[in-house]
Amino acid sequence: MVLMISDKNNQIAQPIRNVLSLAVVPLIKIIEWPQDIYQITQLAMSRQANLVQENNLLKEQLLDAELKVQQNVSLVAENQRLRTMLSATQNSPLATSVAFVSNISQTQNQQHVVIDQGRADGLFVGQAVLNLAGVIGQVDVLSNNFAHVILITDTTHAIPIEILRTGMRTIAYGNGEKIWLKEIPTSGDIRVGDVLVTSGFGNRFPRGLKLAEVESLAVSPDRTFKTALATPFAELDLLTEVFLIWPNQTKKSATKRSEKVTTIDTPVTKDTSLNPEETVNISEEAGHLTNPETQEKQDTDTESNEQTPQYQ
Amino acid sequence: MSKQHNQSNLLIHLSILFAILLTLFPWPEKIALFQPHWVALLIAYWSLYAANTKVMFVAFAYGLILDILMGSLLGKHGMSLVALSFLVNKSAKKLRMTSFWQLLMMVMVWLFNDIVIRATIDWISYRYQPQWQDLIPLFTAAFIWPWLKYLLDRIQTSMRNS
Repeated sequence: MVLMISDKNNQIAQPIRNVLSLAVVPLIKIIEWPQDIYQITQLAMSRQANLVQENNLLKEQLLDAELKVQQNVSLVAENQRLRTMLSATQNSPLATSVAFVSNISQTQNQQHVVIDQGRADGLFVGQAVLNLAGVIGQVDVLSNNFAHVILITDTTHAIPIEILRTGMRTIAYGNGEKIWLKEIPTSGDIRVGDVLVTSGFGNRFPRGLKLAEVESLAVSPDRTFKTALATPFAELDLLTEVFLIWPNQTKKSATKRSEKVTTIDTPVTKDTSLNPEETVNISEEAGHLTNPETQEKQDTDTESNEQTPQYQ
Repeated sequence: MSKQHNQSNLLIHLSILFAILLTLFPWPEKIALFQPHWVALLIAYWSLYAANTKVMFVAFAYGLILDILMGSLLGKHGMSLVALSFLVNKSAKKLRMTSFWQLLMMVMVWLFNDIVIRATIDWISYRYQPQWQDLIPLFTAAFIWPWLKYLLDRIQTSMRNS
């Protein structure tokens, strides 16, 4: 009796999952509730000076971001011109939406995080999930009001990538903690510090999203391939909010769903999801701009200081 | 009589729900490694003392809920918990008479069986390689079992007397 149900796990069991997930939502809420209360009280107790300080900081960041956006506009226009000259295909616009990560522990031996949006919000299995720093993973198990996102570092996850510097394409596997490229040809050009972006193959992840940075190189035991370990840009154990991507759609009202905190972030986030793409194209066409972090919106101050000279 | 029956039913559900909440609670990673499989512990207890086949269905239902929460293959926890409940139920009457240590050993065996079933399903579904860390919860569970048993016994007797 039980075996049958466990066997037909794929599409047939989805209705059962949907119905039961409704029953499960209260449990998640109960776990989240004390944490929400804690956050609310923290907000209420935080001194006004702190808030002012934070506000100023955010304003500065916003200014910084807007400056970059302005510079972007011209780059985008230029890029588009070049593309039409080459009669290349246009980048398809992306629709994004913000979801929050539920702080729920997972005893499953896979690296999953639970996010607070599900099938009811239009998610689908295999949807790309990012945060401000880079790609996190994709939607793995879908329930009605929440979804499990499998992280890129999970051992069962693989993602088609491209090395930003050379444009070489390969597949990145998770190895539990980091990302592992195990199929680089021995003649392939790869160095420590290379940035990996998604290559857009397989039509799951849009092209040009930042993923990881190569950390160390090695040779496979049978000496047929070079291998490389890469550290993801996103801090995968400190996720709070993530962005979901609907490829091939114009920006829809998805961002309206985002709540209080993200009203500040949303204009920024829309841009980040678009900009890495632009970066790739720019860097391919005009080889002097190779660092996608120039476009990253919420960089730390040090980073943005490093990057700005390139523009001026 | 029926009221008492209802009460013990309520207790079963409440305790298992509480166990699920304990499982979901975001413990720090070091503690999470030692986290016993709470639901399995409680199912074992209730199938030992409620001693009817109804517990098996309860086990299955909560197993499915756990599956949904953990995003695992639908029926994975369900199956392991039903198997556990069945094993306990089969010999519940005998086991209630056994000594403390013998019972503890049996509990460890059941939970080990539970872990093996889940590891097998994981292995079949996505080639999961079992690790020795998977066995740590077994020992914490063995440590917790006497206290859990004592606590639930006390609750039950106090309910019976009131």
